[in-house]
Amino acid sequence: MSPSITVNGDPHPWREGLTVADVLRERNFVFPLLVVSVDGVHVPRDGYAATLVPPGSVVVVTHLVSGG
Amino acid sequence: MSGTTTTPEKVPMVEVEIDGRKVEVPEGTTLLAAARKADVRIPTLCSHPAVEPYGACRVCITEIEVRGRKRLVTACNYPVREPLRAFPESDETRRQRRGVLSLMLARWPNVPAVRLLAEKHGARPPSYTHPLRNEAPDACILCGLCVRACSEMVWENVIAFAGRGAGRRVMMPFGKTSERCTGCGTCAAICPTGAIQVHDEQNRPVDPARIRKYGFRLTQEMTLLDDQQCQMRRVGTAHLVEIMDAYDLLPTHNYKFGKHPDTPKIASPVWKSIVRQNVPDGCWAGCQMSCSKAVEGFVPRTGPYQGQKVLVDGPEYETVAGCGSNIGVFDPHDILEINFYCDTYGIDTISFGTATAFAMECFEAGILDPQKTGGLELRFGNGTAALELLHQMSRGEGFGVIVGQGIAEMKRIFAEKFGGDPQFLQDIGMEVKGLEYSEYVCKESLAQQGGYAMALKGPQHDEAWLIFMDMVNKQLPTFEKKAEALHYFPMWRTWFGLMGLCKLPWNDIEPEDNAKYPEPNKVPGHVEGYINFWAGMTGQEVTIDDIIRMSERVYNFQRVFNLRMGKGTREWDRGPYRAMGPVTVEEYESRAERYDKQLRELVGYDPTGKTTREKLAALRKYREEQYERLLDAVYERRGWTRNGIPKIETLRRLGIDYPWVIEVVKPWLEKEGAA
Repeated sequence: MSPSITVNGDPHPWREGLTVADVLRERNFVFPLLVVSVDGVHVPRDGYAATLVPPGSVVVVTHLVSGG
Repeated sequence: MSGTTTTPEKVPMVEVEIDGRKVEVPEGTTLLAAARKADVRIPTLCSHPAVEPYGACRVCITEIEVRGRKRLVTACNYPVREPLRAFPESDETRRQRRGVLSLMLARWPNVPAVRLLAEKHGARPPSYTHPLRNEAPDACILCGLCVRACSEMVWENVIAFAGRGAGRRVMMPFGKTSERCTGCGTCAAICPTGAIQVHDEQNRPVDPARIRKYGFRLTQEMTLLDDQQCQMRRVGTAHLVEIMDAYDLLPTHNYKFGKHPDTPKIASPVWKSIVRQNVPDGCWAGCQMSCSKAVEGFVPRTGPYQGQKVLVDGPEYETVAGCGSNIGVFDPHDILEINFYCDTYGIDTISFGTATAFAMECFEAGILDPQKTGGLELRFGNGTAALELLHQMSRGEGFGVIVGQGIAEMKRIFAEKFGGDPQFLQDIGMEVKGLEYSEYVCKESLAQQGGYAMALKGPQHDEAWLIFMDMVNKQLPTFEKKAEALHYFPMWRTWFGLMGLCKLPWNDIEPEDNAKYPEPNKVPGHVEGYINFWAGMTGQEVTIDDIIRMSERVYNFQRVFNLRMGKGTREWDRGPYRAMGPVTVEEYESRAERYDKQLRELVGYDPTGKTTREKLAALRKYREEQYERLLDAVYERRGWTRNGIPKIETLRRLGIDYPWVIEVVKPWLEKEGAA
């Protein structure tokens, strides 16, 4: 079975070199007000591109409240 | 789609060594910012992260070495472009800094900010007497922070430097009080000496400094963060168009679908290019969010203003979605024209868009035809027909009279006069309690279905917008959690209405440290701001629990009013099925993979070999049951009966068990055996 991660509870395929920015792009999470954590550790916005997501990680992408 | 990216662009990094500490910063970072990153303090009097550096005070003068050559620079406005070493505590730096501070002491000897820095860095008053010596402790030191704040943070330019040399001073144009000054207090809040004082003689707040502190924090966030976040100042709520499309939430064709290939034609870059004013445009003077927008020189192609230049106030997200995608119109000009005429005629754009979308679906379903509509081809995408409908509505003529009565009436008329199937009309007619839905697809968020249909005024999302929390974040997996959200958020948002405050500064800008809080969705930093606003204005200390209780009292009153008007019971808290799930075969099949998966995993129903109609029915049964369970959970949390009636003990707890209130609820409670 190929390794995976979970993103907001849903399985998501993992690959070597997968970053937080990749996960956001692949999930089409384009909303600008996000709070991201990987295995419980907060990832700041300027760290998305450089933060690697290890296999088996629990990624939580909290979208803040929107709507006019 | 043309989406907003969450990934910052890569810029080259440069290594600098400051006071022996090495740090990497993006090219172009000022030396002062680099020092802050390296945790090295360089003193300054005229610098602030929210405004461009100016180099006025020269206190940040620092010796640097670049490619082996040493020289002195002002750290606040020196951009780091190549590796360098900086010596903020070298003998030469300290000597120069003392000289600068000595000159300032000579002119402003009693200003605390100057005196403190001078003492700290060993600067002494000079032996001569400065010809412009000013003994005042709150003298203006000409740092220019107020001038830059008014220009760059508030976008107003109400104050500026005037005069030269000895005559240099800060003033409003021609020395008169400018009508453009809104009294926002940003200049006073940023002034390091107290030279500017703002007096609010109209509202007479108990503690103006407390209010100003939190007001300034919002202004600073808008200045520093809005461009990377929602761009409220640049494009307003229309920034949501492409975002809602990306999450399958943008209503298209009467909420059948949540996205459309033509969305880029009406996405925020389009509006940004059309909105011409690009200046702060708040609903009231002094608003630092300034998300109102306007299009100048617009020329309508129809109606009484045809061919004339007019100004369009908007468009907001709701207008773009309601009068655009939801009626299948992806032409920005037509959306603006509908926006303009709705405003001109005094018609709500949400109700017009949603009602027109309903009429268009009825037309395409064969319930209406050109004979019944007076010749209007009310097909999705026909902007000309939508505009003509709007003009008819304003004149009280033709088919516009029928649509103008709203969806609740249209459902009755179409069934009684045109032979429409009442069940189908009920399923696709997006209204509750007589009000049309606002512009979000909520099929995949049970909590939002409740947020809409249970809203006391009708399905407006300003009570609760829970789609991301529920559908995307999956933070509300149980009925109890959904019910808690449908208690907290409607009460919190009701409070804005009680105070006459806008809710956008609560959640359409996020504090930089928001992630540190356990419940970032509540934006605790901003809740704290509102609490301080209340306390600063009234002198009364409150907590969030007090605020929720204030709202609860009013909210329950409103529920009793609804009851008195015959609309405050469970049956009025149910939405049309289009708000809960796919009504038509076309809808189901457009997202068959999603729905089949749900049937398998949630309903325990194997969709293999089943017709779409069978699958539709199975999914509907499940979703409608879920909704009933949600109603039970929310009513329980709110202290209401199973029929949605506030219990006597709830009214008592809130201190609103007045005889005339009891008189309204008692017959309903007796019917349920709950009195």
